[in-house]
Amino acid sequence: MGALAAGSVRGNLYMYDTNKAGGSTGFGTEELRTRVRAGDRVLWNCLALECEAFVGIAGIEVDKSVIEPERKVYPGTDVAYWIGTVKKDDIDVVPYRIRFLVGTRTEPITTTLSPTLVG
Amino acid sequence: MPQQLAIIVLVDVGNALEMKTLEGNTYLFDNMKLHGSEGQGTGELVTAIHGSYWRDGSQASEQVLNWLPYSLGSIPPTVPRGYEAERARQTDRQALAELEAMVNKPANQGADAAAQISQLQQTLGTRVKSTRRTRGPATQKILDVTGHVISYDGAAAHSYPPPVITDIYGEAVDKKIMYPAEYGSPDMVTDGWYWSATVDSTRPGTYTYTMAIQLHRLLLQGGDWTWEPVDLTCDSKIRIMSEPKRNAFTKSGLGLLPIPPA
Repeated sequence: MGALAAGSVRGNLYMYDTNKAGGSTGFGTEELRTRVRAGDRVLWNCLALECEAFVGIAGIEVDKSVIEPERKVYPGTDVAYWIGTVKKDDIDVVPYRIRFLVGTRTEPITTTLSPTLVG
Repeated sequence: MPQQLAIIVLVDVGNALEMKTLEGNTYLFDNMKLHGSEGQGTGELVTAIHGSYWRDGSQASEQVLNWLPYSLGSIPPTVPRGYEAERARQTDRQALAELEAMVNKPANQGADAAAQISQLQQTLGTRVKSTRRTRGPATQKILDVTGHVISYDGAAAHSYPPPVITDIYGEAVDKKIMYPAEYGSPDMVTDGWYWSATVDSTRPGTYTYTMAIQLHRLLLQGGDWTWEPVDLTCDSKIRIMSEPKRNAFTKSGLGLLPIPPA
């Protein structure tokens, strides 16, 4: 709702991953730094804080030599997630951008601050 | 009608089970940032609750809170209700079809039997035996985070059932500030059970409360995988202010309620 009202996810986006023990940082911010290694499968999905609101991922823009996320659906549903496999080690810091579908807006809203994958 | 506000309890279930604590592994949200809630997306949420007064100071209705527990890094709650049980049925049907094709094939035309059985095992996945005392998950097979069944070897990554709130207690309840209870309804997100509380918002102040939360870990018992309940607790706070209620409907601004007639 905040993102819809502001037309931006700035201040309205909270990102987390499940690799805290592996060294990820920036939990609960728009600049999540996810620690990855070659071969790791990274899956993105999103939830709206208001369960009556719709939110989805329209695309993830990232260096394709590191990871190529693609859209898939949970079998038997139209609920989508994005998934990709990290192609190499020693990637240093790789920023990426997520384009969100929010509510009934036709134009996606893109992240302004940058989450990253870190090697 | 009282204002309904939701508090999301997002738990990193895998890490919480590993560390045997919800501290540092629980992220709380409400959608009341504009009301003055603090600590969104952290374990230190303070939920702001405006007083139960209208703009002219007259008595308004009470505040209602709802809690929604979610599991981080698992199949999201937005899939259809009963999805895990449905996936178990789908894969059983698929395995039956594969078995039928296998036995109907002429004896000298099939691939080798060992490979076919291995394929069948993959289609079937690993079943979880349900026990009477595990009330939470209806999961019948072990799924990975993409909704596919897996042959579980005791180490593979898998989806966890959502956390289950089993009680809400502590200062805010003892002081009769809020009256929580578990309700059943055709709620699409939490499989029909949710915790809700009415709040007496006439006594400003900050009050703590504790949630008893049940997680589930896979345990091998007598040759069968079962979801073993693990009970942990997590604290949070509500802060009641004497400010009148504000509008929360979109396109009507954030003015004080009730909105005066145009």
